[in-house]
Amino acid sequence: MNLSPLDIVLLGTVLLLAVGFYGLLITRNLIKLVLVLQILVKAAVMALALAGKSSGNLGLGQSLAATVIVADTVVAVVALALAVQVRKHAGTLDVTKLSSLRG
Amino acid sequence: MTGILIGLVIGLPWLGALVLWRVSDERPRLQHALAVAFSSAAGFASLALIPFASAETAVRIDVGRYFGELTFVADGLAVSLTAIACVIGALAVIFSMDYMRAEAQLSRYYAFILLFIGAMAGLVLSGNLLFMFFFWEITALCSYALISFYNDDPKAVAGGVKALLITQVGGIGLLAGALTAYSALGSYQVSDLLAKAETLPSNFLALTAFGFLIAAAAKSAQFPFHTWLPDAMEAPTPVSALIHAATMVNAGVYLLARFYPAFAQVPGWTLAVTLVGLVSALIAAFMALAATDLKRALAYSTVSQLGYMVYAIGVGGVLASQFHLLSHAVFKALLFLAAGAVIHASGTRDMRRMGALGKQMPFVRNVFVFGALALMGIPILNGFWSKEMILEAGLSHGPIWALVGMVMVAGMTAFYTLRMTWLVFFGEARESRHAHEAGRAMKVSLGLLGLGAWTTWLLIEPFSALLQHTLPFHGISSLNLSELSHEIFAAPLTYAALIVIALGLGIFWMVRKQAAGRRESWMDVLSRESFGFEWLNRRVASWTVGLGSVLQRTQTGVLSWNAVGILGALLIVLVFLVWSVK
Repeated sequence: MNLSPLDIVLLGTVLLLAVGFYGLLITRNLIKLVLVLQILVKAAVMALALAGKSSGNLGLGQSLAATVIVADTVVAVVALALAVQVRKHAGTLDVTKLSSLRG
Repeated sequence: MTGILIGLVIGLPWLGALVLWRVSDERPRLQHALAVAFSSAAGFASLALIPFASAETAVRIDVGRYFGELTFVADGLAVSLTAIACVIGALAVIFSMDYMRAEAQLSRYYAFILLFIGAMAGLVLSGNLLFMFFFWEITALCSYALISFYNDDPKAVAGGVKALLITQVGGIGLLAGALTAYSALGSYQVSDLLAKAETLPSNFLALTAFGFLIAAAAKSAQFPFHTWLPDAMEAPTPVSALIHAATMVNAGVYLLARFYPAFAQVPGWTLAVTLVGLVSALIAAFMALAATDLKRALAYSTVSQLGYMVYAIGVGGVLASQFHLLSHAVFKALLFLAAGAVIHASGTRDMRRMGALGKQMPFVRNVFVFGALALMGIPILNGFWSKEMILEAGLSHGPIWALVGMVMVAGMTAFYTLRMTWLVFFGEARESRHAHEAGRAMKVSLGLLGLGAWTTWLLIEPFSALLQHTLPFHGISSLNLSELSHEIFAAPLTYAALIVIALGLGIFWMVRKQAAGRRESWMDVLSRESFGFEWLNRRVASWTVGLGSVLQRTQTGVLSWNAVGILGALLIVLVFLVWSVK
C-alpha cells in the first residue's frame, strides 16, 4: 500500500472523527464530553487544512483552521466553567441526571 | 424632487415612529401632538407627490447583486395609494386624539401606526419585488401589534395572532411568486416583470400569477382567507379604520392591479380572480346581514366591498377597481370613525343595545348616514359612481352569472347598511344611556371624510388621466366627468342595480321591527362559523399542535441520541455524494 502524505492526514482526520463520535455516544461525564468535543473539532481543523492544501487554497484553509482554533478554545473554556457551576449546583456531572431543563 | 418627496413620505412616519417610541407615557399631550404633526406632514408630502407622478424610476439605490437595485417608482397607482394611506392615516391619528385620550401606552400605539403608514407607502412605491415583500411583512407585523394593542385582553391577542398567521400565508405566496419571477427573469424589478411577461415560460408565469393571487387574497381578507378581518375588530377603532381604509387590505388589491397586465394572459387567472371577488362579496354580505356587533358588521362590509374591487380586476376594470378603492377608503374610514365615536360614547359594540342614538349625537348620525349612503351606492355619493363603474366593466367583459351575483350583493349591501344605521341611530332606544356628542378632534376627521364622501367622485378626470399617463402597460383610457355621467346614466344596468338596491332597502323596511330580535337563528350560526371556515381554521390549528407534540418526542435532550442523528445525517450526505459522483 502506497500512501501519500495527504492520504495519511485524511486517515488521521477520519480516525479523530471516529474517536470523537464514539466518545460522544458513550460519555456521560460533562468534562469528558468537553474533551470529546475538542477531539471532534480537531478533526474538523485538520480537514480544513487538508481541504486548503488539496484545493490549492492553502492560505484560506489555514486561516479558517486558525479561526476555528480560536473560537473553539473560547467554547471549551466557557463549557468547562459551566461544568464547574453544574457540579456546584446539581452535585453531579452525569449528563443523564441533569434533567431540570428538559421540556 | 420626486426622490426627496418619496423619502419624506416613507421617512417622516418612520422618523415619527422612532421619536414617539422614546417619548415617555407621562406626557400624553406631547405624544398626541407629535403623532399628529408627523402624520399630517406625511399626508401633505404624499399630496405634493401626486403632480410628480411618472412611470420613470425615481430613486435607484444599489444594494448588492443578490437584491438587485432598491428602486422607487412614483407612478399613478403608487402615488394615489400613498395619498390614501397617508391622508386617511393622518385623519385616523387626529381622531385618536379624542378616542385614545385616557389610554395608557400611547407611545406603542402611535409608533406602530406611524410605522404602518410609512410601510404602506413604501410597499406601493417600491419598484423591486423583494423590497415590496419586506414592506409587505412590516405591514403584517404592524397590523398584528395594533390589533393586539389591548394586550391584556385574550380576544385581542388571539385576533392579532390570527391576522398575523393568515396574512403570513399570503406573504409566502408573494415571496414564492417573486422568487419564481426572479429565477426566470434574473431581475426583481417590477417594470421588468411587466415588460417581459410574455417572454417568460408559461408555467413560471402561472406560478407567479397564482402566488400573487394567494398573497392578495390573504392580505385583502378575500375568500378563503376572509376569517381574520372580523376578528381584527378587537383593535382600537381608529386602527380598524386604518386597516380597512388606508393601509393593509388595500395592499392586496394594489398587488392585483399592479400586475394585471402581466397576468391577464395566464389561462384561468382572470376567472380565478373574478371568482374570488364574487364569492368574497357574496358570503361577506350574507354574514353582514346577521351581524350584531357594529364593528363586525362594518368588517364584513369591507370584505364585501374588497370583493367588488377584486372582481373588477378579474373582469379587466383596473381603473374602476382603483376608483372604488378611493371611494371605499373615504367612506369606510368615515363609517369606522363614526362607529368609533358611537362606541366611545355608548360603551358597547352590540347594536341590539343601542338605538335612537341619533338624537343625542346628531353630528355623528349625519356623517354616518353620508357614509352609509355611499356604501349602499346611492347617487350621487362617491360609492355610487365607482360601484356602477365596476358593474359596467363586469357587463362588458365578465361572465354574466358573476354580474348577477354582484348586483345581488349591491341589494344585500343596501339591506345590511340600512339595518346598521337604523339599529344604531334610529328606532326606539332599547337601553337608556347617556351618549355624549363627539369631541372636537373627532369632528374634524369626520367632517373632512364626510365632505369626501360627497365629492371624491368629482376627481375622476384627474384620477383617470393620472393612471393613463403613468401606467404604460395597463392601457387605461381617461374619462372626464361628462363621459362618466353619460356612461353611467345611459346604461340600463345602472337602473337595474338601483332597483335591486331599492329592493334591499324596502325589504329591510318591512322587517325592521324584528331587526333587534335577540333570538339566534341559523344565519347567526352560519356567519359566526364563517361558512365552515372557522372550523377549518381550528382543524389546521389542532393539526399543527398535534404534529408538534409528535415531533416533540424527537427532542429527547439526550446527547447520545443527538450524536446518532448527526452521524445518520452525515452518512446520508456521504451516500448521496458518492452516488452523485458516479
